[in-house]
Amino acid sequence: MTADTSLTAAPPRAPTLGRPVVRPQEPAAVAQTAPKVVIKDVHFYYKAYEALKGISLALHDKRVTAFIGPSGCGKSTLLRILNRIYELYPGQRATGEVLVDGNNILDPGQDLNLLRAKIGMVFQKPTPFPMSIYDNVAFGIRLYERTSTSELDERVENALRRAALWDEVKDKLRQSGLSLSGGQQQRLCIARAIAVKPEILLLDEPASALDPISTQRIEELIGELKSDYCIAIVTHNMQQAARSSDYTAFMYLGELVEYSETETIFTHPREKQTEDYITGRFG
Amino acid sequence: MTSTLTVTLRRRLDRQRVQDAAFRGTTRLFALGVLVLMGGVVAALAAGAIPAFAKFGWSFLTSDAWNPVTEKFGALPAIYGTLVTSFIAMLIGIPLALGIAVFLTELCPLPLRRPIGTLIELLAAVPSIIYGIWGLFVLAPVLQNTVQPFLVDTLGEVPMIGALFAGPPLGLGILTAGLILGVMVLPFIAAVMRDVFSTVPPMLRESAYGVGATTAEVMRHIVLPYTRVGVIGGIMLGLGRALGETMAVTFVIGNAHRIKASLLAPGTTISATLANEFTEAVGDLYTSSLFALGFILFVITFIVLAAAKLMLLRLERRAAK
Repeated sequence: MTADTSLTAAPPRAPTLGRPVVRPQEPAAVAQTAPKVVIKDVHFYYKAYEALKGISLALHDKRVTAFIGPSGCGKSTLLRILNRIYELYPGQRATGEVLVDGNNILDPGQDLNLLRAKIGMVFQKPTPFPMSIYDNVAFGIRLYERTSTSELDERVENALRRAALWDEVKDKLRQSGLSLSGGQQQRLCIARAIAVKPEILLLDEPASALDPISTQRIEELIGELKSDYCIAIVTHNMQQAARSSDYTAFMYLGELVEYSETETIFTHPREKQTEDYITGRFG
Repeated sequence: MTSTLTVTLRRRLDRQRVQDAAFRGTTRLFALGVLVLMGGVVAALAAGAIPAFAKFGWSFLTSDAWNPVTEKFGALPAIYGTLVTSFIAMLIGIPLALGIAVFLTELCPLPLRRPIGTLIELLAAVPSIIYGIWGLFVLAPVLQNTVQPFLVDTLGEVPMIGALFAGPPLGLGILTAGLILGVMVLPFIAAVMRDVFSTVPPMLRESAYGVGATTAEVMRHIVLPYTRVGVIGGIMLGLGRALGETMAVTFVIGNAHRIKASLLAPGTTISATLANEFTEAVGDLYTSSLFALGFILFVITFIVLAAAKLMLLRLERRAAK
């Protein structure tokens, strides 16, 4: 993956740092998997304002890709393109191509509801629906599938188990989802997202409103879920990105500055800006 | 230096304490004023109604007599007309208002949102006398010549509900009043619904769309449950207006103290009776009966509001479980 042209003008790294200036090699730790999502030259506009200026990268299946960068850099925007949720708002539009399994989802002919059922999204704040815990998880399943009660029960239990919430809620499935704690609510939202068996999970700062213990649980959860999904996570927390992702993309002012294996980004960043950001010198 | 400072500071604090107390006292006075006013209205109505209730007892509520000459009065036709016209108004107003609110918040193209919203609010600002004139001179003839004959010929033939649409198409009657009321309460309910719908957190709506829900599904499963308190509040606001609306109803209801099964027949409501007859009420019992009608309307409105509050409480308790 290469940075945008405007960044080639960045000052060359001081040779005294003694780091190799060669392109990062694939570390053995991250085996390549097939790209699930290929983003090609995506621009995004809020009315006339260009929020994304030509982003190209690929998200790999069964891997976690973290998006980091200062506020307003466009990382959440990029996530919102992937399930076209931005279309709820007039005046927002995206150009370019986003291929999911080779199928361009920015195509106007796409069935949005079907697309969104295939791509789960979890937001910064927990968003339990105003209904019971059980119904929250069953909501998406009921929309698209006709299941017997026993099968639905099973799906709900599975989703809650995968979201590491089952043991805490199994005795109160009929209670309102709003009665749970913040961390539990967020895991409920993850359960709801994976209950519909999506292929891709988009996590927009999923732990930013949670306490450290809940955050840790969410991170562990991400690690467990990645064996089944292509996961993209936006985070402001460097440690979180370093801990829980396989690939990391650093974005700045609507452009992709650097995209590589997480280990490489955090140990041998190619770009000065990336290094400054991850070491906390700006952003 | 420091001592003068503390003196000025103390003086200022004292002044603030006095201001605070005065402010508290004034606002409390205003709030109590509402209670006193309310109590006064109830007391005056009740006092005025005593002769009628003393003479007729409970039969005032169940009798359909209304004869100023023989001085026999019963409230049933007016109560019936009030409840039925309001019911028709709600039957028409609620679904239409819901549709308008959903369209305005979810589907309407941005440039049209404000003009349509303003128009709806303007509809609420039209004086009721205008609705009355429009109802009498425009709506009633249309109903009489086209809609009501059609209803008589179609729904009037259906068993069970046929009786509701029987009789001559007069144009004026319970149905016309209900229609007018429906139009009148529509903007109130729609405006409240639109406002509460827009309080749903965007992230919650996005979450629902995010699992693949359609707009209708998001409305039904997310937005309406989330805003049900406000929605019911809006409906109650509309219902309160429908129950008490006077002028427009008086124009089109036909003002007949009768209970007919047919909705096409003329009837009356409590407020229409009061508006029509207070000036010509000779004799203490007649006047007192009108006061009693007013008291009953007050009680009906109170019961409706109380029922709404109870319903909300029960909903909340169920949701909290």
